[in-house]
Amino acid sequence: MITQYDVIIIGAGHNGLTLGAYLARSGLSVVVLEARHEEGGGLSTEELTYPGFLHNVHANYHTFVDLAPPVSDLKIRDHGVQYVKPEVQMASIYPDNTALVIYDDIEKTAASFARFSQKDAETFLRLYKEAHGYVDLLLGTLMFEPPMSVKELTKALSVFKVGNRSQFLSVKLRKETINQFLDEHFENSKIKAHLAFHGAVCGYGNNIEGLAIGFPLLMGKINNWHLSIGGSHRLAHALWRDLANHGGVLITDARVDGIVVENKKAVGVKLQDGTELKANKCVVSTVSVEQTFLEFIDRKKSDDDLLEPEFVNKVQNEILHQSWSLFSVHLAMSQAPNYIASEFEPDVNKAWVVNLGYDSLEALNDDWDVIAKNGLPDPRPNVAVNSLYDPTDAPDGCYTGLIRQFAPYEIGSDGPAAWDEISGIYGQKCIDAWAKFAPNLAEDAILKWATYSPHDITVKLPNMVRGDWMMGQITLSNMLDQRPTSELGGYRTPIKDLYMAGSTQHPHGFITFGPAYNALSVIAEDLGIERWWREV
Amino acid sequence: MADIYTQEWYEEVKNAINNKVAGMKKLPEGTWQIAIEIVGDGVSPYVLQGQERHFLASIDQGTCLWYKEIDDDTEEQDQKIKLDYRFRGNASKFDEIAAGIMDPIDAALGGEIKVKGDMRFLLRQADQVQALLEAYSNDVSTDWPKGKPPY
Amino acid sequence: MSKVYEYDAVVIGAGHNGLCLAAYLGRAGLKTVIVERRHEEGGGVNTEEPVLPGFRHNLHAQYMEFFDVMPMIQDFKLEDLGLRTIMPEAQAGITFKDGRPPIVIHRPDLLEMTHKSIARYSRQDADMYVELKKRAMSIETLLAVNLYTPPVESGTVDQGEMTEAFFGDLGVTKNFVMKSPKAVIDELFETSELRALLYRATVEWGFPVDTACTGAAFLTFIMWTMGNWKLAKGGTHSLAKAMTQACYANGVDLLESSPVEKILLEGKRAVGVQLKDNTIIKANKLVASNADLKQTLLKMVGEENLSDTWRKRSKAFRYGPSHVLGTLAYCLYEAPDYKSAKHDPDINKCFYTMVGFEDEHDTIAYIRDAYDDRLPKPAAGTWVNSLWDSTQAPANRHSATGWYFLPKAGALSQQEWDEVRRSYNAEFYKVWGQYALNMTQANVIAEKIYTPDQMEKKNMMMEGDFSNGEFAPDQMGANRPFPEASQYRTEIEGLYLCGPSAYPGGGVHAACGTNAYKVISKDFDLLDSIVPSRGY
Repeated sequence: MITQYDVIIIGAGHNGLTLGAYLARSGLSVVVLEARHEEGGGLSTEELTYPGFLHNVHANYHTFVDLAPPVSDLKIRDHGVQYVKPEVQMASIYPDNTALVIYDDIEKTAASFARFSQKDAETFLRLYKEAHGYVDLLLGTLMFEPPMSVKELTKALSVFKVGNRSQFLSVKLRKETINQFLDEHFENSKIKAHLAFHGAVCGYGNNIEGLAIGFPLLMGKINNWHLSIGGSHRLAHALWRDLANHGGVLITDARVDGIVVENKKAVGVKLQDGTELKANKCVVSTVSVEQTFLEFIDRKKSDDDLLEPEFVNKVQNEILHQSWSLFSVHLAMSQAPNYIASEFEPDVNKAWVVNLGYDSLEALNDDWDVIAKNGLPDPRPNVAVNSLYDPTDAPDGCYTGLIRQFAPYEIGSDGPAAWDEISGIYGQKCIDAWAKFAPNLAEDAILKWATYSPHDITVKLPNMVRGDWMMGQITLSNMLDQRPTSELGGYRTPIKDLYMAGSTQHPHGFITFGPAYNALSVIAEDLGIERWWREV
Repeated sequence: MADIYTQEWYEEVKNAINNKVAGMKKLPEGTWQIAIEIVGDGVSPYVLQGQERHFLASIDQGTCLWYKEIDDDTEEQDQKIKLDYRFRGNASKFDEIAAGIMDPIDAALGGEIKVKGDMRFLLRQADQVQALLEAYSNDVSTDWPKGKPPY
Repeated sequence: MSKVYEYDAVVIGAGHNGLCLAAYLGRAGLKTVIVERRHEEGGGVNTEEPVLPGFRHNLHAQYMEFFDVMPMIQDFKLEDLGLRTIMPEAQAGITFKDGRPPIVIHRPDLLEMTHKSIARYSRQDADMYVELKKRAMSIETLLAVNLYTPPVESGTVDQGEMTEAFFGDLGVTKNFVMKSPKAVIDELFETSELRALLYRATVEWGFPVDTACTGAAFLTFIMWTMGNWKLAKGGTHSLAKAMTQACYANGVDLLESSPVEKILLEGKRAVGVQLKDNTIIKANKLVASNADLKQTLLKMVGEENLSDTWRKRSKAFRYGPSHVLGTLAYCLYEAPDYKSAKHDPDINKCFYTMVGFEDEHDTIAYIRDAYDDRLPKPAAGTWVNSLWDSTQAPANRHSATGWYFLPKAGALSQQEWDEVRRSYNAEFYKVWGQYALNMTQANVIAEKIYTPDQMEKKNMMMEGDFSNGEFAPDQMGANRPFPEASQYRTEIEGLYLCGPSAYPGGGVHAACGTNAYKVISKDFDLLDSIVPSRGY
């Protein structure tokens, strides 16, 4: 085994692989270490039910396709990734079996809104068009660059008088919740519920102060949801292939025991099996802040102040995690759902993703309250049937289904392990909730199903602390250069030559490629690597 | 008065920018190469549909050193110059900006002028950028031999 | 408009043999692509978390007995690409209900311990086993050359003479090659318990223990490989990972979720493949198939394109029953603690343990049931890999995997297989509990069984036959899959076989792929893969 590399990257999620591929393309020797037996982290596709049914265990929605630079820089389409952008992107079905549909075609979307409110349809169209106009600019500024401070941004927005130019974007959004934004601009409660739900699914809680700031951006790419043919894991393969094509190495099942620090510099990594790997240039962690600084750094070994007590305290006590997680049911199905709501809107049967049951902001808020008290809400899940757009993800004539339900990490006072007992029961409830809207699913349409609870998330991917698939809550105080802490916000760490490049960093979790891409800029600057990838 | 997109006109733009920034404090360190790509859209008479005109400007310590048009087919030359920013959009939009009837920030926010390059720097230097844009769109007296937008 | 790609070589199937061949082709400078039906590479070299997150199970291949001789591991430095192995001291054991002494076969470097264990039952058998093992190991290079060379036709006379030459002084005469493995074992060993173990080891390799004229296989293959078993750290799939990485590093492309619909012909020449989604992949030089014989020739090439002889021979090729397995996957709190451990604690730390066989009659009855399409009384060979590799289960938990011999996929109806999936594991742990008192239902967190019908769906192992073709004298050696096709070439110019339907058959030796490359490298004047110092 080779024991010396220029760069050692911990974690082969999409950020670790992306960073590794760029650095390997830059001529550095790179190893990416993965604790699991599979690369990809959240890009995981498994046959959880029956052979031939491909279930995306974590990431299902790829919303930054053609917006994130690595998609083209690393030529991931040449590496076999095929994205499909479903023409019927998503729908909300309400308790009265009316339905609202988001199409790839935004005019059709507006027409669907107009069935509920003509005024809201017009507002939505204006919002979309405005946001779509600056989506590139904002992504380029806010996601695919190392972060600026809120103060700097505010100042720039005011110099450029953005507030005067835009109906929707303004400095005051940083004090508002998405709920407030929606109440201000929209009138119809179902439309508001749909848009709020959309935000929540993207990790932007609708009742969190300040998140209205991100909402126009979400709207600008509301119809940019893609699915990866053959499962999300295929993207992991593509990134791995790019890494290995350029001389980088992925080593799975390589569990890190510690980061080796000498003279306050990260110089290597020790594995749990005793192997020591030397890093000539740097070590990069893409896993959680807690793992990196509490487990991987031997603070006792250094008799002086390797890490400031204040920083350690922050890592121990102040890392913000999503206050809710996701409960999933993965289904092997012999029929696609046939919704009662298709009488109102036939296209719901073609919708890739369907949100079920929320018809008001209050309904959504009520569930957040239940979840905040570690309770289980009556399921109002969102569901996806990838097979409607991916003929390869199920045997011929069959369908692969996914139910996702907002849920707490801990149940009552019984802690997360209580999920192991209750998953089956709650899973059945989720299926029942779906079947209420699509009665054909109550019959023999479901061949087999498997649950995947918030507890399972953390057991499988320990970097997702407390079932936090966002790897850090999206809130104003945990945003930009403050994510995940002020010390780490710039991808550098208190230890020289140790960087953070995972979803704990700006911008956040999801398949954004942003943390890796931005950390790359910082590492390139420090190591003097010519930035071939940023052709202006 | 100079005809739009002529060497004389670039000189005027350059002077307008330099006048504007002359009194400013905290001008950014370093040299910046900026490309402006104007794409014929069948509306502007200055760049015909299917054609593009490419311009290069060099800014040093906030001051415009030169501003010139480059041949479309000197791609080689284009590649040798390491660009910091690229502004690209339809000719009619650029015409409107030069004529002072389209706000350049609006054009960028509306996605009509695409900006590539490190946005953080542009935001951090918002005052200077604002001055530069104002000089371009308001401080140059421009002749429009083939008609002024909206033509 | 369907997509068209162009390569020099197209390899059908990313099983380990396909990966092996592709890596050599890539290294030789051929522009090579592997097209894989599934979303994952590796075929039977598979590790998943099929039951619960964090509990890994190898669903097909378990122990790795050829790592010391496999050319690809050396030629591509797979250890630098993440392949690491563990070789437990206690290798194979059999345990008993009444707690009488177990038999534990140790590693070849610990033969005295093996001797001690067998001698508890019979000194004669202990002496015989040790001597046979030494002989077999002394001719390892010869056996490896034999394995990694395209088969040459040799009569039973030659084989008999060779066998007598090596083992004659132990009472082995020429006629032993005419015997069945059972007859050979019975003549050499007197202890029923040891016979029970050796029968099972023989059938596990795919050799039908009862079939005449396969007896030499016991002396060479079984005695050679018995106790040479390694486990791949992280799971068997880590071999596929390292092989895939070798492919990527040599510029080979891999297209997942790309089932081949047909092999494209120009006259009698293979010129590419067409995928199910109509993508065309042109092959300027060759197409090689790691898929089984019938799929390759009868389906992908098409009966109409075969000569009478080739059509008849392909149709006559048989799958199973010799290597039809079901895989059990248990998530446990504790590893089994066997009653027999009071005599020899090593049985609790055996890599592979047989449970449910009291004597030779049990094993024979079990195998005959499975071969004759009857469901055997539950008994299994089991592995608890988490004992050696802590990454294979969560902390303080264990993951146990095992093999059942089961009827062919087609022997039972779908309903019958459903019933097997519902009840067979539960029946087995009732048996297990009689051998290890802690193996009660309370020790089982969750379990699953992979049945032959699912193996067929998952990996196109027809009938659930791990070897993709019965091991019988007329389908072995230079007769595999039939004499005219034994040199990996087919009657279609430019079309080669590289999977286990060809010599030597199933098993993780990569010999099918390695040998196919030897033939192809001659045909196309490519880089020679033979390393003189190695001898093959």
